[in-house]
Amino acid sequence: MDFKTLLERKFVMLDGAMGTMLQASGLEAGGIPELLNLERPELIESIHKAYIDAGADIIYANTFGANRYKLSGCNKSVSEVIGAAVKIAKKAAGQRALTALDLGPIGQLLEPTGTLSFDEAYDIFREQIIAGAEADVIVFETMTDLLELKAAVLAAKENSEKPVLCTMTFEENMRTFTGCCVSSMALTLEGLGADAIGINCSLGPKQLEPVVKELCRWTRLPVIMKPNAGLPDPVTNKYDVTPEMFALEMAEVAKSGVKIFGGCCGTSPEYIKAVREILERTDIPHIEPLIPAAVCSPSKTVVIDQPRIIGERINPTGKKLFKEALRRNDMDYILNQALEQTKAGADILDVNVGLPEIDEKEMMLRTVKSLQGITDVPLQIDSTIPEVLEAALRVYSGKPIVNSVNGEEKSLETVLPLVKKYGACVVGLTLDGNGIPQKAEERFAIAERILNRALEYGIPKENVFIDCLTLTASAEQAAVMETLKGVKMVKERLGLKTVLGVSNISFGLPNRVLINQNFLAMALTNGLDLPIINPNVESMTGAVRAYRLLANIDKNSAEFIAAYNDAEPQKTAPKPEGDLSLAHAIENGLQGESAKATKALLESHEPMEIINDILIPALDKAGAAFEKGKIFLPQLILNAGAAQAAFGVIRERMIRSDKAPVSKGKIVLATVKGDIHDIGKNIVKVLLENYGYTVIDLGKDVPCEEVVKAALENKVKLVGLSALMTTTLKSMEETIRLLRESGADCKVVVGGAVLTQEYADSIGADYYAKDAKETVDAAKEVIG
Amino acid sequence: MAKLEHIERSEVLRYMGHQGEPEPELSALLDRCEEILLRDARPKYTFAVFDILRCEDGISLSGCRLELLGNDIKAHLEGCERAALICATLSSGADAAIRRAEVSDMALAFAMDAAASAAIEQFLVMADEEILSALPGYYGTWRFSPGYGDFPIEVQRDFVSALNAQKRIGLCVSESGILTPRKSVTAVMGLSREPLPKKRRGCAMCAMNRTCLYRKRGGHCGF
Repeated sequence: MDFKTLLERKFVMLDGAMGTMLQASGLEAGGIPELLNLERPELIESIHKAYIDAGADIIYANTFGANRYKLSGCNKSVSEVIGAAVKIAKKAAGQRALTALDLGPIGQLLEPTGTLSFDEAYDIFREQIIAGAEADVIVFETMTDLLELKAAVLAAKENSEKPVLCTMTFEENMRTFTGCCVSSMALTLEGLGADAIGINCSLGPKQLEPVVKELCRWTRLPVIMKPNAGLPDPVTNKYDVTPEMFALEMAEVAKSGVKIFGGCCGTSPEYIKAVREILERTDIPHIEPLIPAAVCSPSKTVVIDQPRIIGERINPTGKKLFKEALRRNDMDYILNQALEQTKAGADILDVNVGLPEIDEKEMMLRTVKSLQGITDVPLQIDSTIPEVLEAALRVYSGKPIVNSVNGEEKSLETVLPLVKKYGACVVGLTLDGNGIPQKAEERFAIAERILNRALEYGIPKENVFIDCLTLTASAEQAAVMETLKGVKMVKERLGLKTVLGVSNISFGLPNRVLINQNFLAMALTNGLDLPIINPNVESMTGAVRAYRLLANIDKNSAEFIAAYNDAEPQKTAPKPEGDLSLAHAIENGLQGESAKATKALLESHEPMEIINDILIPALDKAGAAFEKGKIFLPQLILNAGAAQAAFGVIRERMIRSDKAPVSKGKIVLATVKGDIHDIGKNIVKVLLENYGYTVIDLGKDVPCEEVVKAALENKVKLVGLSALMTTTLKSMEETIRLLRESGADCKVVVGGAVLTQEYADSIGADYYAKDAKETVDAAKEVIG
Repeated sequence: MAKLEHIERSEVLRYMGHQGEPEPELSALLDRCEEILLRDARPKYTFAVFDILRCEDGISLSGCRLELLGNDIKAHLEGCERAALICATLSSGADAAIRRAEVSDMALAFAMDAAASAAIEQFLVMADEEILSALPGYYGTWRFSPGYGDFPIEVQRDFVSALNAQKRIGLCVSESGILTPRKSVTAVMGLSREPLPKKRRGCAMCAMNRTCLYRKRGGHCGF
């Protein structure tokens, strides 16, 4: 018997809780239940047997928390514990049931909320999967973070041939603790090649019914339901649903199209027996839903059932500021591009960070990781290099779009396998070795070829989007209508979603905005689903909104009205002009005013003049008032924020005019290894930048060696280290020790809530800064 | 389950180190913070009650592997027969909101951080009441957390595991012992059938007592 054969049955029965049974046998809270595989194998075996006797077709070995993190400190290896557990389960199962290697969450949160990296997570699961090689199937359960589950599934797929079953834990609000929604789970896991997906733990069958119903709408895979026996009483820890009630509720849930059933916390063999009995008598429908074309992040699914805007601004092509940001490694600049576009109405963000002089793969990885930490808009990974695409696809949490593949065989055979493996959507460009065909029919033929090759690779049709390619109207006027014709043909005859980069149409013409807007409207009418545009240009986003209204998609014009109804005319309150205004803006923490005043000043003043004569005196004034206790930290930071806006304008001006940005010198800043509290460090960063220093911000949880490397490479005169916890102060000490050993010619300033002057002295720091202002003082002393 | 409906403004200002009435810009900023946090944070808590067994170097609990070490926790639980272990978190949604603010607006991020600190404390006060109402006939002490006095902060990992808090509320501990999501709390509340003498927590218990701004100004934070 194998899993596939089991699926031919009307339903498949899993087991019930292991932990509940162990607690009933006296396991104490806080003990490691997996150690019982070694200490009391007969107890574990008897529980498995009881479940098989109750009718379980698959039993979960006692391996839920047997990972290297949770077992650390108990002197038992992962392979010992898992090996023993699988052996016990197989012995209990004999020929009567299949044995599952059962793996729960690692117990640490992944970056950016936690400190565990994707690669470490992968490696932890890989070790477990290899240790459990004797099991018949692999189960990942009680997962709440889609990215952790993705690491797990990839580890399973890349290190074994076994079927992979995945269940996540949802709350009544239809989301997991980390905000993952049901549709995103289904789209992502089906894409990654899971063999069955479902829900376990948290609540009883009745409360989870809406969740499982939603799941059945979003997947073609067999659906698993393994709920708790209701809710526990917090004081007695007893669950409130009896086996009979549980079985009745499960029979109700089965009608949504569930295939695989079991019990989680609070259930026992009685529950499994009752469910099995009732299901024998229940009609269970087989539902095969139609899955729409959709992309997702964990918390947001974007269904392409209407025009959706792909924001094009995360791309250095033709953008001096963006290129400069890439060279400076300025992640905040890129992230702000994302926030700005999302606010303007982007549904999906294209991400291209290719620049000849940087390591594109490294940059793409950092960008994707950082982006998914701050935005829930799905991403389109845009690169011409397959290694870059794969690196991004691996760590992307959700279902992204790959931009792009084309009709050339070489492109098809390198890109499509990646699209398949990682379950992405893909943009197919209608060009091949012979370039872009003139005629719509020829482009259509390439689209068809791309679709057929994608299907051969096992990529579902709804995951293929076609770009019929916009040519420049000024150069190839006749081609414009051919492109639109192509869009229409692909949409109608192939039934695929269509993509177009729009802005290219007007290249070389005056009044580009007008051309772009009209072309966009024409393309939408011809069936364009995914316009790639600059959403910050109001007329473009507006054209899409207007189309949605006119095409009867935006019912009752609700979204249109919401977008424009409260647009008030710009207020034009008189403000003092020039430098007076800038000082005033900084003093009052007005960011917008500060940027405006700086722009005005730049008409008549040199950047350095503005910095030295207005910005720094204003900041000094604020700093002095802060020291005297006349203003408090909130105002100081508000002032700094306004000054930062002024600096942003000055920097932009200098980059645009090809002048080197002003800098008094470089400073490396880091929150030390193990610590994730970086707000203090970030405040310091803003203040230092305001004083004209270039800050190399290494982020939080920074390995000691990385600080040393950055200090040496950049030949900095000052390194700033931050730590908030008493437990991470030792990382600070270690970093300073390594810095000294490396011979780096720099001073070290340290800060953080629990630090004191004495402690700073004792670990060999040169300066102790009790607040951000004192760090600036240290910088002035060291660098000038 | 307790639900946050507003965040106490005066507490947020206190966490920000601000004194007196906030200026209009700051007030507007705090309005934004409150709106974002109430939208994005999904606060949760879980607790379990154990009988107290005293031991040489602290407290052990019946039916629980966790040992609560140190003289201070021992003193804290004096006169109590039982103890409620509590884990609470504002959720990863709160962390993400702070992260987003950090990218675009430091002042907003700073205010969000403070507002989140105020929110989790406020949420715990509500949780305290719910916990006590589930235990009729018991009086509770104030909450004592790892890191106070000589109650070692290294206990976090075992604490969270004893309550199965990852499964129940999504709370984890990083390799270096930091609770994640960041705005989270673990604490012990002593339970007694007899009314307990009111004790103020006091600065001696606080990890910040050597660097605290309030102490420097000659006052205290009310802790």
